[in-house]
Amino acid sequence: MKEPRSPASGFNIVGKRTPLVDALPKAAGTAVYVDDIKLPGMLVARVLRSPHAHARIRAIDTSKAEALPGVRAVVTGAEAPTKFGVLPLSKDETAMAVDRARFVGHEVAAVAADDEEIADAALRLIAVDYEVLPAFVEPEQAVKPVPPEHKIHDYTKFPDNTHRLVQHAFGDLDGAFRSAAATADGRFKMAGLSHAFTEPHAVLAHFEPTGRLTVWSCQQVPHYLHRALAEVLGMPMHRIRVIKPTVGGGFGGKSDPFPHEILVAMLSRKCGRPVKLRLDREEVYFVHRGRHPTKTKLAIAADADGKLTGMDLDVVIDGGAFGSFGIISSYYNGVLSQAPYRFETFRYNGRRVYTNKPPSGAMRGHGAVNTRFALETLLDELAEKLGLDPVELRRRNLIPPNSTTINGFRITSNGIAQCIDECTRRSGWAERRGKLPYGRGLGIGCGFYISGSALPIHWTKLPQSTVHLKIDMDGGITLHTGASEIGQGSDTMAAQMVAEVLGVPIDMVRVVAVDTDLSPVDLGSYSSRVTFMNGNAAIEAASKIRDKLGRAAEILLAQRTKYGVPREYLDFADGWIYARTNPELRVSYMEALTLALENNGALVAKGVYQSPPLEVATHKGAAAGLSPTYSFSAYVADVEVDPDTGYVRVHKIWAAHDCGRSLNPIAVEGQIEGSIHMGLGQALMEELRFNKGQPLEPNLLDYRTLSAKQMPEVEVIVVETNDPEGPFGAKEVGEGPLAPVIPAVANAIYDAVGVRLRELPMTPDRVLEAIDQKRDKPALAHAAE
Amino acid sequence: MLLPAFALHQPTSVDGAVALAARLAPDFDWVAGGTDLLPNYKQRLNARPHVVSLARVAELRDLSTSRIGALVRLRDLERDPAIRATFPALADAASQIASTTLRESGTVGGNLCLDNRCYYFNQSELWRDAKGGCLKVAGPICLVVPTQKENICWAAYSGDLAPVLQVLGASVGIAGPDGRRTVPLVEFFQPDGIRRNVLARGELLTHVEIPETAKAYRAGYRKLRQRDTIDFPILGVAAAVHLEGDTVRDVRVSLTAVDTIPVWIDLADERDKRMSLAWIERIAARVLERVQPVKNVSLRPGYRRKMAAVLTRRLLVALTT
Repeated sequence: MKEPRSPASGFNIVGKRTPLVDALPKAAGTAVYVDDIKLPGMLVARVLRSPHAHARIRAIDTSKAEALPGVRAVVTGAEAPTKFGVLPLSKDETAMAVDRARFVGHEVAAVAADDEEIADAALRLIAVDYEVLPAFVEPEQAVKPVPPEHKIHDYTKFPDNTHRLVQHAFGDLDGAFRSAAATADGRFKMAGLSHAFTEPHAVLAHFEPTGRLTVWSCQQVPHYLHRALAEVLGMPMHRIRVIKPTVGGGFGGKSDPFPHEILVAMLSRKCGRPVKLRLDREEVYFVHRGRHPTKTKLAIAADADGKLTGMDLDVVIDGGAFGSFGIISSYYNGVLSQAPYRFETFRYNGRRVYTNKPPSGAMRGHGAVNTRFALETLLDELAEKLGLDPVELRRRNLIPPNSTTINGFRITSNGIAQCIDECTRRSGWAERRGKLPYGRGLGIGCGFYISGSALPIHWTKLPQSTVHLKIDMDGGITLHTGASEIGQGSDTMAAQMVAEVLGVPIDMVRVVAVDTDLSPVDLGSYSSRVTFMNGNAAIEAASKIRDKLGRAAEILLAQRTKYGVPREYLDFADGWIYARTNPELRVSYMEALTLALENNGALVAKGVYQSPPLEVATHKGAAAGLSPTYSFSAYVADVEVDPDTGYVRVHKIWAAHDCGRSLNPIAVEGQIEGSIHMGLGQALMEELRFNKGQPLEPNLLDYRTLSAKQMPEVEVIVVETNDPEGPFGAKEVGEGPLAPVIPAVANAIYDAVGVRLRELPMTPDRVLEAIDQKRDKPALAHAAE
Repeated sequence: MLLPAFALHQPTSVDGAVALAARLAPDFDWVAGGTDLLPNYKQRLNARPHVVSLARVAELRDLSTSRIGALVRLRDLERDPAIRATFPALADAASQIASTTLRESGTVGGNLCLDNRCYYFNQSELWRDAKGGCLKVAGPICLVVPTQKENICWAAYSGDLAPVLQVLGASVGIAGPDGRRTVPLVEFFQPDGIRRNVLARGELLTHVEIPETAKAYRAGYRKLRQRDTIDFPILGVAAAVHLEGDTVRDVRVSLTAVDTIPVWIDLADERDKRMSLAWIERIAARVLERVQPVKNVSLRPGYRRKMAAVLTRRLLVALTT
């Protein structure tokens, strides 16, 4: 082991570029995904899906399929009518359609067979008697009253297909608009998106003779799947084990409990054999849960000093056929729109509607991305009307650290001002914006995001995160966590926290993540909560171990030195425990451990995280968006627009993000670059197009994510504010960095060619149409030309 | 998604392949690189019980500036020094097809005979059934133009090489039960999205011939697509000009991905003209007039039409300056 560092050198591993602990197995091809797991006697499942967007199921005849040699089980919705859903407030899903198919691709029946060919053949033998119903595919249709028997879901209180209405109002909005020196408003339309993760969903279920069920699934939230399986299958939770192997990306798309996970368990229970289902890419588009398409009406007002006085927001959110995370989306589209700015008045009307399309759900930047595009675009327009630089308008309205938003969010650490300073300085904003030749432009976009939802989905007082540690005589530290590694780096983060506290190399920590028999409950990988919550839990657990080792080291140092060293004066680094004041006085980690284990056995410890009480406001939905802390970002985009073709090329993004403290710069940069890649996809080309409710491009050739060739240079600027409650000061970086890039590009397009896009994605045909319209109306010409 | 079961045949000569085809017709498909056929088979798009692979037919692999075998891989065409020196437009077009990995498999013959593409065709069986079927897969009507009088298929021809080879004046060699023949590439393609070309079942495209006269032309290709990689063209324009000083002795323009076959623009009356911007504008206007894309691939038809003129103009400017 290396000599102990001087105490002044700071952290052991926090802030160091640390390769992700699962990177090598993934690169070498040895990581095990669900589809790599093979069990003896394993069967293959296939799903029969509805060819109708909306239909009553009068009867299903599975007898011919059951009679086909090689078919071991067939299940239909009638066998499991218990409703489930990720949110207890909108449990509207079943394992398969019970009496109503609600979108093209809706699960209707499933087969387990010896191989895929037989399973496919069996699906063709299932006869379904459908009565086709009127399909509601556009949100405009969904808000018209319909006869109760045609409603997509009959449990709602509305006479139409509205799922949820949210109405918030703070302050005298009308007064603010009446007395405004300038206002800006617009109607925006944002397309729905697919997460386009690499690994299609796969699930393996094994109902064993003992009556225990094991389910392997690529899940961001195994805990919710655990609950849903128990509920729908009518089994106690202790008889169900959920295991999450390596996951090939999620981005929100693997955070619901899914019908296909439950129906595979049903098949296995029915035939007593392991059953595996892997979806093909088209089915991923049916399972969906991607970004909600939204139609947004926004108006903002400012006084003569450029102080923002009002924000009036109206959003129609196209939910597709089920609730999923939709109630949260309905709130987030409003409540995550204001910061990093202070608005004196605010009104929000959000309406999520059911339509006969694959269900929308949570996706990276959940609820915050689309409204952000609208707001940041209008801020630019407002600045122009006020004769202010867009950056200056933003600077005048920033919400300060340690303050409260009008809707009751507690803001603590906040580096937005530094973010704006850094990205504008490095991009040469003052010298270049508005002064570049026609076709080239700079634009700015800011944003903020929750660092974990303070309010758990299930109203329990269980900790939101728990970490168990165990150290035996080999010295290795086993870290049990329910946090779900989905490629974002949570295993590495948790290992880093423990390695930091105990001063050992990270390879001494082995992470056992998400096996409900072995791991404590964690609420999963969504809402950018894992680093903050699981990281704090890991630190707490490691600190308890550190106390035990410190006590042992104290005893050893007392035996070996004249005066001994009290354990409050001990530091842990590089495998040594030493006196902070005199590094020569030291014992090795292994020595201390050996003593600590004597007559005691393995060291075990537990750490938990529970967010502090944050609710100060009392209006309905006040808890939505509450978070122990928030991340902040400001981006500048440099783009080039071809005025003859409408093609947009993004040359560079300066991305400044306040993540509290950068625990691992490699992971922080990766999240920011990945967010920008995803955000540029939404900005420029990603769009779920539908034809009568049917996804028109359910494949990765036609549904276009940004290619590597179009990825611009990204200059990541990490702004560290050292959050008072974050693990070593850290907060989120997984989702917040997505939203700002879209308006930054839109505002840069304006700087380049003088047109404002109101629709996402900003495809070449839309950009060119805007340019052509402006050519036809020279009166509206860009001031800079 | 599984491939449907089929019997694979692997003849080693053109004559052997043709004899085999005569026996199997019409229940077979040719396969070369498989990058087009196999994905279509997985989606159950007109899969047949027999597949005849041409991979072992050595005589289909000639590669020179006058003769390109049907089995020449796109990656080899793109990198061939003689092709790059003599017909850079051809190498350039090849380099823009799909991705490097796919070009390692995909072939010249396969790209020329690429099956037409459409929103309503390149989908799963469930997807097509939900729409009531696609004409190109034994459905009742073409869903792109459901109201047309004559019920024809509007799937888009999406090959990148054809327009370039057409403006170079290439012909294709065909072998079949009635022997061998050569057909000018401009006559090879036949509307509509189902018929596609003159190949009778049992016939095989063996090679491409590029005439010596092509060397007098400057040619180029412009491809429109949303990403700079992988995508099929949403529009492709090839042009060739034969210049003498500032006189244009000949000009040829052909477009891909805007109709069921490559669209050859008849420019006979634009020969022997003085090269000028006005002349380029006239040709761009002719393209605009001739091209009528339908809504069967991404980006609006009106936009694609407009871009046909823009890319033609840009290409001709580049070729004449």
